[in-house]
Amino acid sequence: MKDDCRIGFYICNCGTNIAKVVDAEQVCERIAGLPGVACARAYKYMCSNPGQEMITRDIRERGLNRVVVAACSPRMHEPTFRKALEAAGLNPYLLEMANIREQCSWVHDDPRAATAKACDLAHAAVRRVRYHQPLEKVEASYAPATLVLGGGIAGLTVAVELAEASQPVYLVEREGKLGGNVGRADLTAPYLDSARDILAEKIARAEASPKLDILLRSELVELRGFVGNFRATVRTTGGPTRDLAVGAVVVCTGYQEFDATRIERLGYGRFPDVITSFELERRLRMGRLETDDGRIPRYVSIVHCVGSRNPRYHPYCSRVCCMTALKYGHEIKSALPAAMVTDLYVDMLSFGKGGEDFYRRTSELKTMFLMYEKGDPPRVRAAEPGDDCGLLVQVNERLSGEVIDVPADLVVLMVGMEARADGGDVARTVGISQDRQGWFIESHPKLAPVSTATEGVYIAGCCQSPKDIPDSVAQARAAAAMVLAHVAQGKIEVDARFAEIDPDRCSGCRMCNELCPYTAITFDPDERRSSVQSALCKACGTCVAACPSGAITARHFTDKQIFEQIEGVLAWSSSRSS
Amino acid sequence: MEFEPIIVGFLCNWCSYTGADLAGTARIKHRPNLRTIRVMCSGRVDPTFVLKAFAAGADGVLVCGCHPGDCHYIEGNYKTMRRMELLGQLVRAYGIDERRVRLEWVSASEGERFARLVDEMTLELRQLGPCKLRPTVAALANDFDGLSRAVTAQVAASGEVTHG
Repeated sequence: MKDDCRIGFYICNCGTNIAKVVDAEQVCERIAGLPGVACARAYKYMCSNPGQEMITRDIRERGLNRVVVAACSPRMHEPTFRKALEAAGLNPYLLEMANIREQCSWVHDDPRAATAKACDLAHAAVRRVRYHQPLEKVEASYAPATLVLGGGIAGLTVAVELAEASQPVYLVEREGKLGGNVGRADLTAPYLDSARDILAEKIARAEASPKLDILLRSELVELRGFVGNFRATVRTTGGPTRDLAVGAVVVCTGYQEFDATRIERLGYGRFPDVITSFELERRLRMGRLETDDGRIPRYVSIVHCVGSRNPRYHPYCSRVCCMTALKYGHEIKSALPAAMVTDLYVDMLSFGKGGEDFYRRTSELKTMFLMYEKGDPPRVRAAEPGDDCGLLVQVNERLSGEVIDVPADLVVLMVGMEARADGGDVARTVGISQDRQGWFIESHPKLAPVSTATEGVYIAGCCQSPKDIPDSVAQARAAAAMVLAHVAQGKIEVDARFAEIDPDRCSGCRMCNELCPYTAITFDPDERRSSVQSALCKACGTCVAACPSGAITARHFTDKQIFEQIEGVLAWSSSRSS
Repeated sequence: MEFEPIIVGFLCNWCSYTGADLAGTARIKHRPNLRTIRVMCSGRVDPTFVLKAFAAGADGVLVCGCHPGDCHYIEGNYKTMRRMELLGQLVRAYGIDERRVRLEWVSASEGERFARLVDEMTLELRQLGPCKLRPTVAALANDFDGLSRAVTAQVAASGEVTHG
């Protein structure tokens, strides 16, 4: 160990999140006794301003040169605490965190075992931080152009915002026209304004902007480089393949609708008068609210939650269908006052601004609401001779407990949203992750809702999860603001973690050249040595682990640092340590 | 008292560590036997890390990375996969039961899976009992270069290379 280490150790109670299971005082006492630890403190909220100031003050007054914070996941607050170090003039890489909330207090009930684990993780962090080295971040330029994937309402919004801020934008849309799924809708809930109008205005602005390059029938095939300095290969059907230099990528690839034929009992595909919500939208846009054979429907039955909130298909709520169904009630009763409209629902989720009010108004239109059990959707069959309707919808009504046959000339299925089938390809191309349902994962649901695991790649709209137009637009503008903040700086600080090859130890075997997924390692045939181009390196460490000469160092993840950590986690708890 | 094994876990930052955090945010309870060390990619896990963990007293080692095809670093986890095959032979050569080393794929959305893995491995290691090492391995605990040389030699003896 280094003799001159003066480590400050801080353990966060996180209110009671940590302290109710982990005995923070005990951890503090044990850590205080370790070599190199100059002070050890527990505090209720380390991430608060007083918490951060405590660190900054101790660094100044007690001459600390290393800091360990045992708190939440470093994915949450490592940037916060690094800033606290910087505020005191200490290099931010001289920090190490121990994750004792997400990976300890939140998942263990036994205080004794949880405290022992917290001690081990803190011990490991203290051992590791002794070998931390100050690292300088590398500055790189930030290309002002942005690549936006998807020309739906979210992508259009991002593109227009950026272009109108005078920044170049490439808007890549796979289809032959802009508008996405909103372009398939008639009116929007709850204010009944036209989807066409909302889109037309944006499309006009997009087409009028000299900064905005709209690439229709185009797809991103490859993305290389790093934040501020991406190279995107975009292929256009029947056109050129372009290589674009962009600083950021905003993914707005949207959703696809649930395939209603998967729920056989709904009769979709068997009865022409069982249609999806999108098919009804189309008829409403054309002003033809009628059955397949052109009759005016007397009975319309609307089935909610088709594919949503059903454990067999998608467990989540698609968020827009209840409001859209209410809108149908409204539109149908306006056009055909004598028609009987029945909503077959699971729960009415009329959340959000104006939602409840719209529900109340629609209810006053004498729409009938019948409740069915989640996982037991209604069964559609042909009506019997003599019935005055084409179809009968059998529902096990929950509130009355009765089996009811609802007459219908038209059955509308509120098909839910699902992640696009090819979302995985997009995710791999741009380097982001998907959740179990296939939605793209944000960095943090509350703190970083449009950022992703890959710096410089943002997500907005329904590719992240089902949402309505206001939320999609809000996310889109948030993503645009993120991009503009970087463009305004004109440069970016690139993480100081990358691999370095010691030329004196490199044997020139070229093993690492082949292994590097980013072709960041080049070989100098004259010197017979390999070297890493730091800007291309993404610090995975694969070359480090494979180098037979031990010539490659992973900055901030050195062998020594990890060895210390291994010893640290085991020193107090292993069966051989006592 | 029942034997409580200590498992050292090497979790990749992008998928598995995030999955473990998700188990936390979702409050999915699991056994407190794992001690996690974060690496950027499972490809960073040098075979010497695994031996080092056993030498320092671990009863098991769990390496977790992104699912094949989903690696944040494009293909780092494929490299881990190949390396881990060799690692199995390596630990056997040191007299360590192969079941004490596991390579598993845990995505950022698999908090539940992560929790079950920890439980499963804990139970299995309880049955296997404490990991006993040959003195030669234990002696290598604090000698990184020695450990590296031993690993290289062992791998050479097995007729394969560690790389790629």
